[in-house]
Amino acid sequence: MTSLVIVDDHSIFRSGLRAELDPELTVLGEAGTVDEAIALIAAELPEVVLLDVHLPGAAGGGGAEVIRGSAGLLGTVRFLALSVSDSAEDVVGVIRAGARGYITKGSSGAEVSAAVAAVAAGDAVFSPRLAGFVLDAFGAVTGERADQPDELDRLSAREQEVMRLIARGFAYKEVASELFISVKTVETHVSAVLRKLQLSSRHELTAWAQQRKLL
Amino acid sequence: MTTASIRPPLARPRRAVLGGVAAGLAIHLRVPVTGVRVVLVCLTVAGGAGALFYIWLWALVPLEPQAASTVAPVWRRAPVAIVLVALASASVITELAGLTGNSDPVVGPILVFTILAAGGAVAWSLTMDVADPHRSQASATAVRSAATFLLLLGGIAALLSHAQGFDAVLGLLAIVVAVAVLVAPRVVALWSNLMSERAARVRQEQRAEIAAHLHDSVLQTLALIQTRAGASTEVARIARAQERELRDWLFAEDQPARSDLPTELREIAAAIELDFAVRIEVVTVGETTQLATTAVVGAAREAMLNAARHAGGDVAVYVETTASSIDVFVRDRGVGVDMASLPDDRLGIRESIVGRMSRAGGAATVTAGAGVRGTEVHLHLARDHD
Repeated sequence: MTSLVIVDDHSIFRSGLRAELDPELTVLGEAGTVDEAIALIAAELPEVVLLDVHLPGAAGGGGAEVIRGSAGLLGTVRFLALSVSDSAEDVVGVIRAGARGYITKGSSGAEVSAAVAAVAAGDAVFSPRLAGFVLDAFGAVTGERADQPDELDRLSAREQEVMRLIARGFAYKEVASELFISVKTVETHVSAVLRKLQLSSRHELTAWAQQRKLL
Repeated sequence: MTTASIRPPLARPRRAVLGGVAAGLAIHLRVPVTGVRVVLVCLTVAGGAGALFYIWLWALVPLEPQAASTVAPVWRRAPVAIVLVALASASVITELAGLTGNSDPVVGPILVFTILAAGGAVAWSLTMDVADPHRSQASATAVRSAATFLLLLGGIAALLSHAQGFDAVLGLLAIVVAVAVLVAPRVVALWSNLMSERAARVRQEQRAEIAAHLHDSVLQTLALIQTRAGASTEVARIARAQERELRDWLFAEDQPARSDLPTELREIAAAIELDFAVRIEVVTVGETTQLATTAVVGAAREAMLNAARHAGGDVAVYVETTASSIDVFVRDRGVGVDMASLPDDRLGIRESIVGRMSRAGGAATVTAGAGVRGTEVHLHLARDHD
């Protein structure tokens, strides 16, 4: 049983999504604005928050502001960004604020449920598009590669391989068998990439975030 | 008396000497145009009624309607601006002669005449001659500089001759008008720029407002329809196509569509989605500056079509453009193909994908996917460095 809070400013979308979700998931509540969401999350302490990127209320920071407002809970509550837009630029700000992944609103109920379960288990959720964006933003195509595993501004060779396969539409399990590594190792690589995405000070990332006033 | 009923209507012709009043009257009254002109001039000399009548008709009689297919600008043969400049220079010369002569000079009326003539010349060339294709830009500039020069000359001469009272004011006025004439075109241009910019901004704001509204309402609804209907159903496909169209309209920033590889592949994917129960996700990495390569586009299209036709469901397309090569991966979740067991008449893969790529100097490989099922087509083409 995974407990869940849905944050989206459209009640129709919230109820529609709720009806489609896996019955294994317990929806603790719904919120429609930034302030409501922060209060609800603090009161209910769900395992996962499904968070719309564009959200009215408070200072106008949208989903990223909700995460920052719940910063003290980031250890126990995990955020999964949900966006009507499938451009990764829209989502990088929420990811950098602390979300563990993102999916588009066009995804089916089963896909959303699977992503929620993955995030609840501590994994990062990368869509093919977000993986492609990461490859671009970290200069993987122009041949930039991290020599030290803890380097934040570039990806290691293995991380690039994993991202490339995810961008090609491979599931984690398929990535694992393609690269002859365990699924656990794939998840470790993805989490490492997510961490770099959140902490890196690469110009491309900060520029996007700043443009959207998310830093 | 029957002729009166079919008399041509009173209208000013577009090819005129000054305003077309005399010519229009002559046609309307069926008398020679010279006669009309003589009468008008006589009336003008004898008390000015002719001039008033002329101006009155000029203001009230409409222009001849233009033929539907052609745009006929008004062409005035009389060089009004040049005549006015000539009058202004004559009056300035008179003023200078008077000032250098011994007798008591008459400065005031002459200065007024100069200001009116020079200002009128510039006004005429800025308003009437601008639309006239027979008057060049150069002649407008010449009229303006001549007017400026004459006004400055007249004004400064009046001031230097220790003009008193009203004459001094007129001298100053001449200089002010000269400066105004000099900057007038720039001010006019600036003003019209400002106006069109403001209009553009208003349009932009309106568009942004509409975009925000549609983003909040219609796009959300379309997303919900896709979620509820299941990814590859008819309804979801229609909603998805509609969403893509709306998104293109909302976020396209008035830039012309570039025909690079990612754009073309996206368009192809959109077209295929309309015809088959399939959802194609196109992910592109790397900058593409060169135009789409026909062989790659063709082969990728064939691979996407195969995936849509035989596998359906979700298809992932990944395009990576590096400095040295282009790679396209098309992956589906179908039952997979075995190249060896394909019958010879199945031209799709063998000819349209593998053959096409090798003729273009690239390579295509078809593999069963990493998991148990699925097929992946990989197209590879080295980029020329020319």
